[in-house]
Amino acid sequence: MKRIAKIGLIGCITLGTLLSLPAWAGKVSEFQLDNGMKVLVKEDHRAPVVVQQVWYRVGSTYEPVGHTGLSHMLEHMMFKGTKTLPPGRFSKIVSQLGGQENAFTSANYTAYYQVVGKQNLETVMKLEADRMRNLVIDEAEFKKEREVVTEERRWRLEDKPRSKLNEQFNATAFLNSPARNPVIGWMTDIRSYEVEDLREWYRKWYAPNNATLVVVGDVQPQQVLALAKKYYGHYQPEAIPELKPQREIEQEGLRRIELKGNTQVPSVQMGFHVPSLVTAENPREVYALAVLSSILDGGESSRLPQSLVRDQQIAAGVSSGYNATDRLNTLFELSGTPANGQTVDALEKALLAEIEKLKTTPVSQAELERVWAMDEADHVYYRDSIQSQAMILGSLVSVGLPADTLDHWIENIRSVTPEEIMAVAKKYLHRDNLTIATLYPDGKGPRKIKPYTGRL
Amino acid sequence: MRVIMQTVWMLFSAGLLSVWSLQACASVEIQSWQTSQGSKVMFVAAPELPMLDIEVVFDAGSARDGDQWGLASMTASLLGTKTPELNEEQISQQINALGAKMGGGVDRDMASYSMRTLTRESILKPALKLFSATLTEAQFDSQIFERERQRLLVGLRQQQKDPGALARNTFWEALYGDHPYAHPISGTPQSVAALKLDDLRAFYQRYFVSANATISIVGNVERKQAEVIAEQLLKGLPKGEKPPALPQPKALQKAEKRVIEFDSSQTYYRHGQIAVERGHPDYYALFLGNHLLGGSGFGSLLMEEVREKRGLVYSVGSGMAPLKVPGPWLAYLSTKNDSANEAAQVVNETLEAFMKRIDDTHFQAIKDNLIGGFPLRIDSNGKIIGYLSMIGFYGLPLDYLKQFPKIIASLSKEQVLQAWKKHIHPDKMVTVMVGQPK
Repeated sequence: MKRIAKIGLIGCITLGTLLSLPAWAGKVSEFQLDNGMKVLVKEDHRAPVVVQQVWYRVGSTYEPVGHTGLSHMLEHMMFKGTKTLPPGRFSKIVSQLGGQENAFTSANYTAYYQVVGKQNLETVMKLEADRMRNLVIDEAEFKKEREVVTEERRWRLEDKPRSKLNEQFNATAFLNSPARNPVIGWMTDIRSYEVEDLREWYRKWYAPNNATLVVVGDVQPQQVLALAKKYYGHYQPEAIPELKPQREIEQEGLRRIELKGNTQVPSVQMGFHVPSLVTAENPREVYALAVLSSILDGGESSRLPQSLVRDQQIAAGVSSGYNATDRLNTLFELSGTPANGQTVDALEKALLAEIEKLKTTPVSQAELERVWAMDEADHVYYRDSIQSQAMILGSLVSVGLPADTLDHWIENIRSVTPEEIMAVAKKYLHRDNLTIATLYPDGKGPRKIKPYTGRL
Repeated sequence: MRVIMQTVWMLFSAGLLSVWSLQACASVEIQSWQTSQGSKVMFVAAPELPMLDIEVVFDAGSARDGDQWGLASMTASLLGTKTPELNEEQISQQINALGAKMGGGVDRDMASYSMRTLTRESILKPALKLFSATLTEAQFDSQIFERERQRLLVGLRQQQKDPGALARNTFWEALYGDHPYAHPISGTPQSVAALKLDDLRAFYQRYFVSANATISIVGNVERKQAEVIAEQLLKGLPKGEKPPALPQPKALQKAEKRVIEFDSSQTYYRHGQIAVERGHPDYYALFLGNHLLGGSGFGSLLMEEVREKRGLVYSVGSGMAPLKVPGPWLAYLSTKNDSANEAAQVVNETLEAFMKRIDDTHFQAIKDNLIGGFPLRIDSNGKIIGYLSMIGFYGLPLDYLKQFPKIIASLSKEQVLQAWKKHIHPDKMVTVMVGQPK
């Protein structure tokens, strides 16, 4: 246990870990079908394997009040049959092919994937295309699956105080932006979905012109394009609703919440409002924030583990994070657990002191070089997995960023100056722009049980 | 996410190759030799990416703790914190400046250390030197020890409030009694508090020896270079010898149920028994059967019965963990307290029906899954090195990956059922429930 893991509903891809594009790195072929569907293909011939992913531009930040988690619920229903395929059959077919499949939902998108032997690409494309337009949402199946999703929420959130803290932290930091919505949805919202809500959500967002197909593996781009035309190309585009901006209001003073939970160890989570690469007026601020994040928490020699865990010994674990590729304005986050004998207040102060240091003292050349070296290496390492390569492409395009964002990431990171880092720290990482959430033990022993009321 | 696989079980269910895929797939050519100091080396050349993975595994898992629970884990966590030449900050700075990744972990059987690095000469050389020093010249510093102990204690205290962790720990304890597999890998707050720095030094000297190490290498180097790398890597360790075999665990004589009351919204359920060791001839049949019963997500019967038909759970499954000596088989799930007994009942009925009769269609489908899915299991260096360590450490034949699918393909339903009836005894299982099951 070198580091306490970050909490999140689905793993985030941080562009900050990736770098330049040498010859072996593989080119991305980009196409658009006549109906507006985007197609991205990347060749990787190391193994006779291919991954297909279909990304829909819909996620929890698309959801209106009272309907949180609807995108995630729909993701579950996508396995429950089409006009020609009975419920559960999709997965059985992929399983019999020896494939791996799953799906995931985030604030920004909903995606489906299958990893199969390359000879089976056409089969899974036919299946995936079928459920893009022909899903049948049966009332009985829906009700059963809604129970499964409530169990998923219990499993992910209800018995995990830190996950709960994260959820409530997020809803405090964002007041009017839908970035406050939990991806899985509030329990009361999950319970009140009607079958017609799901059908409507599907009609609204699941269309070729709101989707991106990503294929990475032992394939030829033209062959993938031909298959894509055959299976996705004949669908008509739909009118995709325009979202209201719902831009988060400016924060004008510190916000703070406490949560008491079934834990022995307190913890703290903090966040400052910051732009993403999608929302930033000046993208250089985003690159500066990305480097700043790595200075604080990129590797064991970075500042937070060095100073707070090893030197001052205030924290048992600590981390920082910044999702530079969110669709909406996002947060620069810090979190940690105090060391034995230390208070959560002392940890909070120590974390903020590290932020203050960034405003007054320029970061060193050695620190910048460390960030570059780690980014360059990570850019090679991620190529070991076709799934990672496809994930990065899909996540970029689904928030409206160009597919080649990654190709330029390195040069942008390398050009960040110590002055720019100081400037973004001063501009964004200040008290009036800060939300703090603290988890405290509820003080009950495991044997002193109160009846669980659900607090749902 | 629609389903989260429990990574530990994914790892253990690995290990197959397809008769069909032999034509389609560049199969993995494993080379193996011994260093002059007696370490076993496992090597696969993978020239496509300019990177290298190395993993070193010692027979030094928590089963070697004796009565000092957490000793193996604590020793492992201090490796890489100090060498005669470098202090802690210098080590972490060097690793990061090279862009290398180093990590380690302990399970019941092994302590494993891994490094991933670029193969550019200016990086590879210092990275290897650093990795070697952390393994062979480990220094145990009392201040670092105390700090890491305190950090571990925070984690262990937190575990006492984690119903999933409680269920896991209770299950192993109920299953293994006084066997070295019984206690938690990281120990308990009491046992960790009692550890002394000299205990760690003694453990390191006893178990971190060349003869007790398996070195796996995958990446952009040729055989000759791999030989040099392996030879140099553990040169600083004494030759030493392998530790004695672990005792055989005793099977339960009757069913046992442990319910731990806990203030949680779900009940965390584990149900199982001791099965077979890695390398047991019946493992293939047991594995194939388990893949159908609960080891393959939505291709498996437990998922169909408990989740798809009844909506009782988000996650359910079953898995086998063959170890040096017989490891567990178990079924697991978590569900709201009110459905706990119903879900457990469905698991029992599904297991019982499965052991009576396997449907032909199901049987063919699960064989197809294993055989057709083989190329996916070896499609990255990261996956291949996992197999190398497993094959090397457990002394499986070098053609294990080639043989596995042939054996799977050759198995009949009757052979699978026979193996299950021989090894799996539903009337002598441990059941653990943490929560307020109703």
